[in-house]
Amino acid sequence: MSEVMQKLRAPLLPGVVALALSTAYLIALLAAEKQPLIIGLLAFAVAAVLAAHYLGWLNLVSRSFADREDVLGVYAILAACVVAAFFHDNHFVLLLFVTVLLYTVATLGLNIQFGYAGVLNFAGASFFGIGAYTSAVLSTYTAVPHLLVLLIGGMLAALIGSLLLLPVLRTRGHYAALVTIAFALLLKTFLEVNDVLGGPQGMQVKGMSILGWSFNDNFEIGKIEMSFYLNYFVVSMLLLTGTFVLVRRLERSWIGLNLDALRLDEIAASCFGLDIARWKITAFLLGNFLIGIAGALFGMVGGFVAPNNYTFADSLIMVSILLLGGIGNPWGLVVATFIVVVVPEKLQTIQEYRILLYALMVIMMLLFRPEGLLPRPVRRYYPRWQA
Amino acid sequence: MTYLLEARGLTRKFGGVVALDNLDLAVVPNEIIGLIGPNGSGKTTFFNVVTGIYGAHGGSITFDGADITRASSPAVYHAGISRTFQRSRLSLPLSIFDNIMIGNHKRLNQGLWFNLIRRGEFKREFEANYGAARTLVEVFEPQLAERMFEPVGGLPMIDRRRIEICRALINQPKLLLLDEPSAGMTHDETKELMDDILQVRDLNRNLTIIVVEHEMGVIERITERCVVLNFGRKIAEGPYRQVAVDRQVQEAYLGVE
Amino acid sequence: MDVGLLAQYVMNGLMLGMMYTLVAIGFTLFFGVLDIIKFSHGDVLTVGAFTALATYIGLRSAGVGSTPLLLLAMLVVAILAMAALGMLIARYLVMPMRSAPALNTLLITLMLGTVLRELVRLFYPQGANPKPFPALLPTASINLGQFNLRLDNALMLAAGGLAIVGLQLLLNRTKLGLAIRAVAQDEETARTMGVNFTAVVLITFAIGSALAAYAGIMNGLYYNEINFGMGLYLGVIGFAAAIIGGLGSIYGAILGGFLFAALQTIGTVALPFASAYKDVFAFTVVIALIAWRPTGLIQEKISERV
Repeated sequence: MSEVMQKLRAPLLPGVVALALSTAYLIALLAAEKQPLIIGLLAFAVAAVLAAHYLGWLNLVSRSFADREDVLGVYAILAACVVAAFFHDNHFVLLLFVTVLLYTVATLGLNIQFGYAGVLNFAGASFFGIGAYTSAVLSTYTAVPHLLVLLIGGMLAALIGSLLLLPVLRTRGHYAALVTIAFALLLKTFLEVNDVLGGPQGMQVKGMSILGWSFNDNFEIGKIEMSFYLNYFVVSMLLLTGTFVLVRRLERSWIGLNLDALRLDEIAASCFGLDIARWKITAFLLGNFLIGIAGALFGMVGGFVAPNNYTFADSLIMVSILLLGGIGNPWGLVVATFIVVVVPEKLQTIQEYRILLYALMVIMMLLFRPEGLLPRPVRRYYPRWQA
Repeated sequence: MTYLLEARGLTRKFGGVVALDNLDLAVVPNEIIGLIGPNGSGKTTFFNVVTGIYGAHGGSITFDGADITRASSPAVYHAGISRTFQRSRLSLPLSIFDNIMIGNHKRLNQGLWFNLIRRGEFKREFEANYGAARTLVEVFEPQLAERMFEPVGGLPMIDRRRIEICRALINQPKLLLLDEPSAGMTHDETKELMDDILQVRDLNRNLTIIVVEHEMGVIERITERCVVLNFGRKIAEGPYRQVAVDRQVQEAYLGVE
Repeated sequence: MDVGLLAQYVMNGLMLGMMYTLVAIGFTLFFGVLDIIKFSHGDVLTVGAFTALATYIGLRSAGVGSTPLLLLAMLVVAILAMAALGMLIARYLVMPMRSAPALNTLLITLMLGTVLRELVRLFYPQGANPKPFPALLPTASINLGQFNLRLDNALMLAAGGLAIVGLQLLLNRTKLGLAIRAVAQDEETARTMGVNFTAVVLITFAIGSALAAYAGIMNGLYYNEINFGMGLYLGVIGFAAAIIGGLGSIYGAILGGFLFAALQTIGTVALPFASAYKDVFAFTVVIALIAWRPTGLIQEKISERV
């Protein structure tokens, strides 16, 4: 019994140290401008992570996060605020940061579909785009309050997703793959030929404004000038935190168990009462809802939407994030999203090659380490709970 | 006499092969019966049709008074039938507790609100079920009960069989279908497993069991009577000792001289 | 509508159907033999088309001017190269993943397809832009009343038909074909009967990929243009066609391929505004068909043992 107790009380320190170091590193990477410096920083990170892996430190950190997630989660939020405060007047960095936050929300949604329920969705970016287009249309043609717009974006993505999925619910996995790939390809073409939604140029999206506070104006605290992106940072953090908590609770519940059961063995699961169709639909709708909300907010942040930003290749990038980070592990997703979004932005030379690189990395990962960077641990409903 | 499970004229084909051929099979409440026959005689197919994995091409199945011929697998489960599989079919990456809870599906609150928002109540349900699962596992192997959150994939075959049976028993089914429980185990392990199953049955008198087996020692020891299948039809029925000397049964297993 | 226009539509439909069928056959073969969906199939088609183009350009600049020779060289090089590529993919990416969940094979081939696509886009000179493909078939046409039957189209159709018939003969009349069918039906038994499983798999992949190369060249000759995304699009259609026909059945692939082409043609006639709509129409009908008959119009092989 004492062995069990020891296992349950992993120390907080490794997690805190890892968090602090990562924050400092992130600030350095985001601030760096010169390409040689950036390359150096990236090489350093790779070396550091490999060293930590071989020294067994990564395991310590991972257990620390597993057991002390509540506290470390709060620290992570604080760390994000520190980074945002550091770059308080830097539009470019804040925009990048907000993009990462929203992409993480979207991939967490994808994770519910793919990672938990095993439902393939290769049109993640398309649903993200549906959310964004909802923002565009509603903000241009109506006076619907902007928070409600986000909700509507989510619901529309969920609705269209269910229309896609219902026909292929009772079929094998590769049918869902076909349907979502076809949807991803066709939606883009559809948007491009349709002038109602702006055609290839897309549409403008009005910036968010809540109760009169316009998100698109810079503001001041005391004498310090703040970038207007900080407004979006706050909302995005709230959205991400809420999503993270939701996903965590979902996994650590009977519903999470249902999804795992149906992913791993449909026949056995249905012999024990599981309504396969119902739970697949639930997972898919919930995931798409999150993707749609994130997309709607993203539209407002960017100020415009165009079909070219939500292509099949973008959906593949989302899937790559999932596979690289570790299917089913939300922390792995966060790390992978940062890497996938930030690195090509800083390392301009590889921008062009990023899809190729990610595809190659995923292939390597699937061949040699299919569980991803941060594998998903066994379900512990209450990590610190003792029998 | 009211039967708990009654199959009448049950037929199932796969392309040109008739796996179940007008089969009549009845099970009395609280009995343990063996279902035996040479390979390919339709034993597992029978289980698969009863549990709704395959549809019947003819005939009917009645369980506890209700017609379950066209019932889906979840419906059969909810009616009170649980099973194990020839190929084990546990979810290997999941923990022992998780696997057992899969079997407890109908007793767990599946509401979104309950699971996501009412976490206090959820915790209570979790703790209660943890206790129940532990108690059941302890009957079979007390050491396993200490490791409820270990993934099942790392366990030896005998432990996996035990957990599979716990998964089938946790929701206190009326009818338990055991499909070759001794596969992959030694004589002693099998004996132990069967003893534990009988122990559970003693604690819960309201349990009926159908066992598919190739190991005749098991059949002889724990069943009250047997049904022998060959080519999808019943060729003999009665206590083990009686069917063992039946000519037709011997021919089915050993071939005609 | 006048007969000439109708005939034109029919011809167009037949051409498309032939191309889709060739791709669908590949999907069905791979699924039949290994129970996997090889998502990179369409992109192998693209690479085949570009290989043919590169061969053409190379030979032209080396002074070769004879059209039949050029065409022959393109066919030979592209088909052999893609057969080899198919075998490499089977050997090093697909077969090692057999013990992993089927999902992983799907993902890995999807990513591989992306790699192939991006390699063409990034490393072929001006790869991101559509490239003109030479017209190497006789451009004469036979006048049949109100309709001009183009000789090149007729030739391509005939050639495609020959390929399919050849494949059927191979599968049904040769020992190799027997081995392939045996493996497709029941791998374990086939192995115990002495069939060299690895060899059969590699050869099947080679055949499927060769057909893709052929389809790629045909596509280039028909549209006089190729681009790096053509395979993705054709792959999706080919896959859909293979599914509605019934995965694992060659006849199903043929049925599915021509059915999809027919749907597209109907869509073009009924919805003349934009070409995108014909695809939406065709896919919607296909998805409805899949929902109605998930195992295909001709039975998909059941492969799971309970």
